[in-house]
Amino acid sequence: MLKLNLYQIILGATALFFLATALIKFFSGRRTQTFFKLLSAIVIWGSILIFSLFPNLNHNISRMFGLGENLNTLIFIGFVAVFVMIFKIINIIERIEKNISEIVRKEALGHLEDKKTTPHDLPQL
Amino acid sequence: MQEKSGAYIILPVYNEARIINRVIEEITQAGYHRIIAVNDGSSDDTFSLLNQHELIVLRHLINRGKGAAIKTGVEAAKTFGAKVVVTMDADGQHNPQDIEKMLQAVQNGYDVALGSRPKSPKTMPLTKIVANCVGNIVTWLIFGLWVSDSQSGFRVYSQKAINLIDTASDRYEYESEVIKEIKRHKLKFIEIPIEERYTDYSKNKTHKQNFINGLKTAIKLILSA
Repeated sequence: MLKLNLYQIILGATALFFLATALIKFFSGRRTQTFFKLLSAIVIWGSILIFSLFPNLNHNISRMFGLGENLNTLIFIGFVAVFVMIFKIINIIERIEKNISEIVRKEALGHLEDKKTTPHDLPQL
Repeated sequence: MQEKSGAYIILPVYNEARIINRVIEEITQAGYHRIIAVNDGSSDDTFSLLNQHELIVLRHLINRGKGAAIKTGVEAAKTFGAKVVVTMDADGQHNPQDIEKMLQAVQNGYDVALGSRPKSPKTMPLTKIVANCVGNIVTWLIFGLWVSDSQSGFRVYSQKAINLIDTASDRYEYESEVIKEIKRHKLKFIEIPIEERYTDYSKNKTHKQNFINGLKTAIKLILSA
């Protein structure tokens, strides 16, 4: 029988709740829940769930990577994950910003044809 | 009035209702009538004021930044078959009388003429001088081309240059990206001293390039490198 501390139960329940919400949203076909978001939720909340239920897993990972304390391993993995996420988010925002600019530009230039037909708007070369 | 050249003047305009009439009058009085104004999502009366003049007015429905507005203006100029394009700020800081010597440089074979502001504490606020130096150093470190004023928006481009330069930056980092493009396409450029008019109006503008925006620009440049 798995003996759990209070913090493990709270963390595990929270992780389960968010995992279940993400899965329900995805499978019920909500437009806001993309596959990438589901994957991120599984990786983040899944990791929290596993580490909260099996804290000794840290020992094995620490030994595997040659890192000393359990906490150091978690912090290290956390930092890597956060940096990866930040860069991913920056890339996504940049792409969206560019797309918005392109749409706005196309809309603005779309009115250029009307202006070309107005003599005073088109200076003669 | 007789048109001075085939140059198209591109004005990226954002909330300049207080001064835009004067800026356009100055440009037309200097002999340039092919003006493309890109209203970049202004929330004041700028758009209706622009429409009172005989110029080509384009409108961004939402604010996308100076770089995006200039790019829209350049795209419009290309459709008119522009031989030369001038970009300048719409807040009255640039003197249209300087256009002529910059055009002359392009007519003499340069692809790009970059306006270079005097870096004297008498003519430029000290914070601007420091920010400009930092901008030049960051641009040089990232793009490998040293220019004395990498952040000046007063520039003249030949047809060859506007066809080759391809930018992706929407905000103030646009100016530095142009420097990168000049190097990438080995364009012939010259820096020409220009007058910079710092008025109470221009100094008090909230959406101008300030310290925080400058920092953001530097970070964006580093991330885009």
